[in-house]
Amino acid sequence: MPFHKWVIVPAAAWALAATWAAGQMTMPMPNTTTRPMHGESEAMDHSAPSPTAVPPLPEGMTLEQVLDRAAQTPPKDFPHAIHDDRPYAFTRIEQLEYRAPDRGQEALGWRAKGWIGYDLDKFWWKSEGQAAFVGKGEGESENDLLYARLITPFWYAQLGAQYANDWKDGQYSDRWSGVLAIEGTAPYMFDVDASLYLSDRADLTAKIETTYDLRLTQRLVLQPRAEVRLAAQDVPQRNLGAGLNQTDLELRLRYEFKREFAPYIGVRYSFKTGKTADLAERAGSESEQTYFVAGVRLAF
Amino acid sequence: MSEQDMQVGNWPSRRQFLGSSAAAMAGGYALLSPRYIKALAAATMPQAGEFGELDASDPAGIDLVIDRKRLLVDGRAAGAISLNGSFPGPVIRMKEGKQALIRVHNRMSESTSVHWHGMLVPFNMDGVPGISFAGIAPGQSFTYRFPVRQNGTYWYHSHTGLQEQLGLYGQLRIEPAEADPVAYDVQYPLVLSDWTYENPQEVLKKLKTIEGYYNFQRPTVANVDEQMKMTGDSLGEVIKKRLMWQRMRMDPTDIADITGATYTYLMNGRSAKENWTALAQPGQRVRLRIVNASTMTYFDVRIPGLPMTVVQADGQNIQPVQTDELRIAVAETYDVIVSLPDEKPRTLFAETMDRSGYVRGTLATAAGQSAPIPKRRMRPMLTMQDMGMMPMKEMDHAMPDMGAMPQEHHASPEVDRGGELPTRNLPQRIMHGPDHHGPQSITMAMSAYRQLDDPGIGLGKDGWRVLTYGQLRCLRTPANRRPPTRQFDLHLTGNMHKYVWGFDGKKFSESDMIRFAFGERLRINMINDTMMSHPIHLHGMFMDLYAGEDYSANPRKHTVNVQPAELLTVDITADEPGQWAFHCHLLYHMEMGMFRTVAVVRSLEGAPIRAIS
Repeated sequence: MPFHKWVIVPAAAWALAATWAAGQMTMPMPNTTTRPMHGESEAMDHSAPSPTAVPPLPEGMTLEQVLDRAAQTPPKDFPHAIHDDRPYAFTRIEQLEYRAPDRGQEALGWRAKGWIGYDLDKFWWKSEGQAAFVGKGEGESENDLLYARLITPFWYAQLGAQYANDWKDGQYSDRWSGVLAIEGTAPYMFDVDASLYLSDRADLTAKIETTYDLRLTQRLVLQPRAEVRLAAQDVPQRNLGAGLNQTDLELRLRYEFKREFAPYIGVRYSFKTGKTADLAERAGSESEQTYFVAGVRLAF
Repeated sequence: MSEQDMQVGNWPSRRQFLGSSAAAMAGGYALLSPRYIKALAAATMPQAGEFGELDASDPAGIDLVIDRKRLLVDGRAAGAISLNGSFPGPVIRMKEGKQALIRVHNRMSESTSVHWHGMLVPFNMDGVPGISFAGIAPGQSFTYRFPVRQNGTYWYHSHTGLQEQLGLYGQLRIEPAEADPVAYDVQYPLVLSDWTYENPQEVLKKLKTIEGYYNFQRPTVANVDEQMKMTGDSLGEVIKKRLMWQRMRMDPTDIADITGATYTYLMNGRSAKENWTALAQPGQRVRLRIVNASTMTYFDVRIPGLPMTVVQADGQNIQPVQTDELRIAVAETYDVIVSLPDEKPRTLFAETMDRSGYVRGTLATAAGQSAPIPKRRMRPMLTMQDMGMMPMKEMDHAMPDMGAMPQEHHASPEVDRGGELPTRNLPQRIMHGPDHHGPQSITMAMSAYRQLDDPGIGLGKDGWRVLTYGQLRCLRTPANRRPPTRQFDLHLTGNMHKYVWGFDGKKFSESDMIRFAFGERLRINMINDTMMSHPIHLHGMFMDLYAGEDYSANPRKHTVNVQPAELLTVDITADEPGQWAFHCHLLYHMEMGMFRTVAVVRSLEGAPIRAIS
């Protein structure tokens, strides 16, 4: 503490002297007190109109040392003052459900996405599909891995690859596609995910999905969902015709015991259109189906 | 294994022990009930709110021991950070004109720090890891020593991570060197805070990943009727308004990020149920030193049936104002004088701004008394005004901000050499410039306007008086009250969907330091582009709040609350060399980027100084 005085007293005396000197020169003396040793005449023109008394300084430091230190990036051994640039990870299992169709096999359905990364840059993954519970093995899945960049407050641009497969009657087929997507929240609070796929066989297809949360109470939520799939050309291997080929309309009612845990029930109406519907009927499979669904929406 | 883990680990083992011994007893089932366990815990575990006083102006100094500790909060076991055995920490007394000497001992397995909020100290004593010093490593001690150059009510808290959420805070009380202009007979600290039993990092992750996680007061189909009653709107108007908010992708009930859904609100470490009590005799002048030590919660404080005389704000004496209610933003302090007219107890009521909870205590002549707890009010809803949408009739009077105020401070600071800025009749309303601040900012106030006479959302319509910033007038004009010669605009920005907060669309980690020239007097025009209120705190120097016409009477503040779409101006004398933190005091906003380093340097010129190495 006495040590302090050794700093304050001379510093204050010197500041007073500088003040006096400034007054003698009868002109506004901005930063003069802070830089008398430098003797730069142009310094006199700068900013502040009146000199400042020097407050108590860190022990053992002169004003000049403090001002030098103030102009430097913090020392390497200092931690960051706050931590606003840490990565986070999140998984949302939007649907994990039992699907009972009006015709055909009962199935387990899922739709999930997640991300890991920073505020502006993230890696996203998405997975959806269904697999029959019993009987002959039958199912399909689509799995995307994407790099995403937040381009506007509400929208991510995503770029990556998709691996999709399906299996039926012992036959297995799969494909790789390049993916370009935008995902975010549209006006009126519609969550939208729109993807464009270019497959390894050079087929161009698209999928647009949107959901909306209608809050009935603070925990009871009715969620309509719509999904359309399009193709730019016929894709015979996948029984797809050019144009709009499949539409899903869904409605789920969930109860949020926790934000991360919400069981639900719902219905799903799925129908094929145009050439795709014809192809399905010719192949002996359904061109439209209604499902009763029950499942749980999860997050972690 | 960290100390925290060990202590968390302790608890189940104690429960197991209980379980096994109880099972050994006949009729042991009753003893297994949670109530029994709770009672046993209550008997053995110390309680939060057991704090005393320490005199840091004692030449021998004082010791503060920081440790993880299981404490009872609202009767329930909680993993807290204790100061000398409890939380809040002891009231630290100091004497103006003397040296303060405080030795802080870190007994935790993680780094820590103590910041003296609102105190004028050399920058290396300010206690901000990464700016003033490296922090206090596990097992280490740090000695704070500085001359005390002010008086009044302040507080202290950790500036490390989210430690403040777990109890690392307490009150500072500095006795004036001269006679105190405020007369009182008894005084009490009133430390308001928010407590969660969750791990604060988990809370942060929830905010970061699920929007509106803690908001259970949203617009729903079920509360349309309630909204019609509250606003007097017809069904059509309610639907129209809701659609308007939905179109903007905003939630008008987004008043608080973290709510009573997880928080237990405390007064001096005690819950509403525990009823902290201040004792006074009728006629005695009681000085309540109110500190909002919450991490995220604004409180509306009132004592039903008893007017309060506000005598101090942020440690600075003000011309006394009598009022019935005051909103205390996070990190602010207010001293009020109250007096019991009779033997009847009165409720000290602190309701959260979003109305999701409250804490109360009692002012009484004897312990064990209580008074009725007022009904909580309906949670307010934001309006288009809060979005910075301007009422049409005022459109003509708005000033474009380009002329009067330079748009961007971080581009190149516009120095108004020699020219003094006006100190009265500042623009009432300014239009937003063309910069939308990028993806880390959602909204912008098309027109930001002064709200000095607005007590804030949800206040002012109850038929009683509510304190406003426009009523704050300093008791004595502080030194250096001269017109500033430079100004810049600072936009408060955020993306609530992604939980990113910042200034001018940038987070701390993306920022350069803000230069103040040592000795200059400067002005900051804060423009709140977000829809939330933000308590903005500058370390090391006071801010003179532009509060009206008489420049010499503007109050000094260490923390200023900036309401949605508000234009708020502060003038600062840059007379403390060094580097200082400057940030939103909502803990999770600060940690997510609403933070800057201010460098008080020789000159405004020079290469940008990166905020982090």
